[in-house]
Amino acid sequence: MSNVSNVVIAGYARSPFAPAKKGDLARVRPDDIAAQVVRELIARTKVNPDDIEDLIVGCAFPEAEQGFNIARLIGMIADLPQSVAGVTVNRFCGSSMQAIHMAAGQILLGAGDVFICAGIESMSRVPMTGFNPMPNPALHAKNAAAYMGMGDTAENVASKWQITRADQEAFAVASQQKAAKAQADGRLKDEIVPIRVNGKTIELDGCIRGETTTADLAALKPAFDQNGTVTAGTSSPLTDGASAVLVCSEDYASKHGLDVLARLRSVAVAGCAPEIMGIGPVDATRKALSRAGIAMDDVSVVELNEAFASQAIACARDLGVKPETLNIDGGAIALGHPLGATGARIVGKAASLLKREGGRYAVATQCIGGGQGIATVLERV
Amino acid sequence: MSEIRKAAVIGAGVMGAGIAAHIANAGVEVLLLDIVPEGASNRSAIAEKAVERLLKAEPAAFMSKRAAKLVKTGNVEDDLDALADCDWIVEAVVERLDVKQALYKKIDTVRKPGTAVSSNTSTIPLAALIDGLSEGFGRDFLITHFFNPPRYMRLLEIVSGPATDPATVKRVSTFADVKLGKTVVNCKDTPGFIANRLGTQWMQLAVGEAFALGLTVEEADSVMGRPFGIPKTGVFGLMDLVGIDLMPHVLNSLQRALPKDDPFHKGTRDLPLIGEMIESGLTGRKGKGGFYRLNRDGGGKVKEAIDLTNGTYRREEKARLPEVEAAAKKVSALLTAPTPAGRYALSVMARTLSYAAWLVPEAADDVVAIDEAMRLGYNWKWGPFELIDRIGAATLIKALEGMGEPVPEFLALAHDKTFYRVENGKRQYLGRDGVYRDIVRPEGVLLLSDIKLVSEPVLKNGSASVWDLGDGVLCFEFTSKSNSLDEGIISLLGKASRLVKDKHKALVIYNEGSNFSVGANLGLALFACNIAAFGEVEKLVAAGQQAYQALKYAPFPVVSAPAGMALGGGCEILLHSDAVQAYAESYIGLVECGVGVLPGWGGCKEMLTRWQTDPALPKGPMPAPSKVFEMVSTATVSKSAAEAKEYKFLRDSDGITMNRDRLLADAKAKALALAENYVPPQPKELTLPGPSGRVALEMAAEGFHKRGIATKHDLVVASALAEVLTGGPADHIQPVTEAQVLELERAGFMKLIRTNATLARIESVLETGRSLRN
Repeated sequence: MSNVSNVVIAGYARSPFAPAKKGDLARVRPDDIAAQVVRELIARTKVNPDDIEDLIVGCAFPEAEQGFNIARLIGMIADLPQSVAGVTVNRFCGSSMQAIHMAAGQILLGAGDVFICAGIESMSRVPMTGFNPMPNPALHAKNAAAYMGMGDTAENVASKWQITRADQEAFAVASQQKAAKAQADGRLKDEIVPIRVNGKTIELDGCIRGETTTADLAALKPAFDQNGTVTAGTSSPLTDGASAVLVCSEDYASKHGLDVLARLRSVAVAGCAPEIMGIGPVDATRKALSRAGIAMDDVSVVELNEAFASQAIACARDLGVKPETLNIDGGAIALGHPLGATGARIVGKAASLLKREGGRYAVATQCIGGGQGIATVLERV
Repeated sequence: MSEIRKAAVIGAGVMGAGIAAHIANAGVEVLLLDIVPEGASNRSAIAEKAVERLLKAEPAAFMSKRAAKLVKTGNVEDDLDALADCDWIVEAVVERLDVKQALYKKIDTVRKPGTAVSSNTSTIPLAALIDGLSEGFGRDFLITHFFNPPRYMRLLEIVSGPATDPATVKRVSTFADVKLGKTVVNCKDTPGFIANRLGTQWMQLAVGEAFALGLTVEEADSVMGRPFGIPKTGVFGLMDLVGIDLMPHVLNSLQRALPKDDPFHKGTRDLPLIGEMIESGLTGRKGKGGFYRLNRDGGGKVKEAIDLTNGTYRREEKARLPEVEAAAKKVSALLTAPTPAGRYALSVMARTLSYAAWLVPEAADDVVAIDEAMRLGYNWKWGPFELIDRIGAATLIKALEGMGEPVPEFLALAHDKTFYRVENGKRQYLGRDGVYRDIVRPEGVLLLSDIKLVSEPVLKNGSASVWDLGDGVLCFEFTSKSNSLDEGIISLLGKASRLVKDKHKALVIYNEGSNFSVGANLGLALFACNIAAFGEVEKLVAAGQQAYQALKYAPFPVVSAPAGMALGGGCEILLHSDAVQAYAESYIGLVECGVGVLPGWGGCKEMLTRWQTDPALPKGPMPAPSKVFEMVSTATVSKSAAEAKEYKFLRDSDGITMNRDRLLADAKAKALALAENYVPPQPKELTLPGPSGRVALEMAAEGFHKRGIATKHDLVVASALAEVLTGGPADHIQPVTEAQVLELERAGFMKLIRTNATLARIESVLETGRSLRN
């Protein structure tokens, strides 16, 4: 067992994120999207593919075109060496962040030096809940919240944390504006892998609506509860996309001259009540911060997934996130939220931002259906 | 040259676009062209916008998504060459002779020789249109006058000139009849052809006389509606519908075009109120109001009507005149009533009917053409000559004489006769020479109404009849009110089955009502429930299931041929038929949940089977129940037969007949084809998810409830439906039989019918015609 001290993020790439069904990626198989991202990540980082231990892929609905063991198949489509293994991970929205955590654990265990941690979701081609949703009737009778729709949980958080509709809309507009500006200034370009589709190349995110105003959003009908406050405009859209990060030991990175974005300081997961799953990041982040021995005040980059504006606001408030540190290039409300791909995106993004913006610590965290949170603390190298 | 495989429509206005859409409905590719707008960057913008409008049109212009894709757009400058590939070119541009002629000259340089070119003009004579054009163009040119909206109006007036090649007329007429489903009426090259000329005369008389005789709009419409078999919108309601501002244009053009001695001119009156209404935007339903309006001031909805004496609105008051009600039995009584309504009826209808008689041979060769034109162009139940027969030609002549009006020669000829009669089992019409001739149906047209003239039903009770169509095929006809399904129908189905089995080859289920069937007789169900005779209700549910299963597994083929609505139990009978031959305008759906029950005559079972065997659906036990749940819980009804295939209310192999009059012949042919070496189907087993699936469907319904889309009782109904569709206690590794699903249907139906909320829904539908959202 080699003497390994640290785990680092040494590369991040993603596909453009496109609106499900009507976007540019709707007609592309998810394994094909992910394979292009993985291949390009390897090309950009110049890592020797023969050194990769495993391809760990997060996917929230691993069935149909996302079925079998999609990780292994992505490896084959991407022409990875046969020696690179593949495993698919499901922790719903936290799937590809979990992939990174697993890689980190393996590295620290001495069970490999280099991992590709990817995420994929085609919400066009595999519906949320899958093709055959079959909840356990007895569990449903005992605890219906176990299967509660995400929109309903967002409403619950909004009312419990008293997040007004106006606050949610202001938050959503800010997210759209940040993302639109980042796109216009070319700040998203480097992380995006152009995806080739039938001779066309897709290179721009398709969900962003920078021109959205609070007045536009105020005109929308509630999406989940006629008396509620959550609308389509304050929810992340159904999205197609893939993401990938290169996770390796610090020793390996320095020995091979890889461009390290950030060092992993701590990770955590935590359960919470399923009917308020959106608040999951709070406990997970507190645990991870405490494991890193730092406080939120020490953090200068926060990537807090915007499943819904209501839960993102509630988490940011409870955690004391400084607004200027939060989702600097926009969040999922604007960019989109391809469930399995979001975790790797926000860890990769937080790592890149740490490098770009300066500061010492970054946090990436997200809520997870069924009542959980997951968090990652990164440190500048 | 014999077939029309590709067509073009030039002019993407309301009519042109609508014609293009309907040609696409027939499965034929169609090029829609219009001019290039001045300074436009998109040179085909007009045609493209027209297609966008078509896609949003209500009622729908397209019968299916597939049809919409068959319309290609372009412009007359860049795409004219493409006309060379077209077998029929329809011109529907602005009504200006110079514009049309300039276009024809261009068309003539690119079209293949022999390609039919027709104009949709409603005012310009054919002779003028082809004046100065090439001889070849004249040979291939005709007028095809569609009615708005082209998909739904069955009338097509065709005018050919002396130079027109009869083969061209035949080719276009056959396509219009078989593929577009139109009834072709051949007209002379005279202004307004038949329907608009006579219809406008009727409208101007009906409006003018209402003013002159001091009737209210409600009174006038009650007289000019039902008693004469005219739609209940009467005349003022119709004006509101078509646009009051359109009337002066139509009147002017006819006044200019018709010779000075035409009786049309005598009907014209100066009505200042109409001009004032148009000026202030009161142009009817499309404008700020018309003769009627819905006043939404103060948040309410008050139906108002205009006072013809001063142009102000007041609350609408439904007219209930005794002489009008009495006319339901005998229409001539209304014409002789010594009341304003009677005088009004007489003054308008005597002159309208007299004008109709005057139009033979002026505008048409015979009475059949004129009657057909008014029935299909204005939705009159009876054509003018059928009306004269109902009134009596002698009575009409006497009335005209009393009014000092001239009696047309042809009407005088009929003074002691009827215009129609039945002789040797054939319907005949009176010619101008006083000779009766058979009405000859085009080949491929078979009408039950004709069969009834020559035969007696082979079986009959109060709700249904069975007729012999010949060649070993029997026809089962519903005769109950609105063709609703009841015990009588169920029991006669059993008898009919035995009869077919013993002596015939096949059974066709068909009728000539406006709707195939609106479903089970709710009145009877409600009555039984109100006296707590639930056992009787359950017996009827079981009897229906047995009868439908018996049809499905009978040793002979059953072909159903719906037209109009086939809802609830009416839809279920289609689902149990071996094949369906549907009229293109069939509106099919399982609507039971709307009245708080669920499909109990095998509808759930059949829909599950159809969706579960669809290879395009993902595998597993949930997709089929989810799909059926989505449709049935929301009482989805198809807007066409083509759309019914998308929902699987019809199979891909089921036939669609575009022309209503050809439906029975097509259905009979289908039945006979199936009868060759017929083998009944085998029962299928289903894989259903059981309670897990039920929970998933209930969760989906709960979501709709939260969003305010599903009501509280909708959840109760959805839950019972989910129980049936997921197979009750089923486990997906154990197949479920048809009998088990039928049992679940019965139990679910009985559970719901015992709830007060369901009974309240049924009561509401019966009393108000609207479903209650409780």
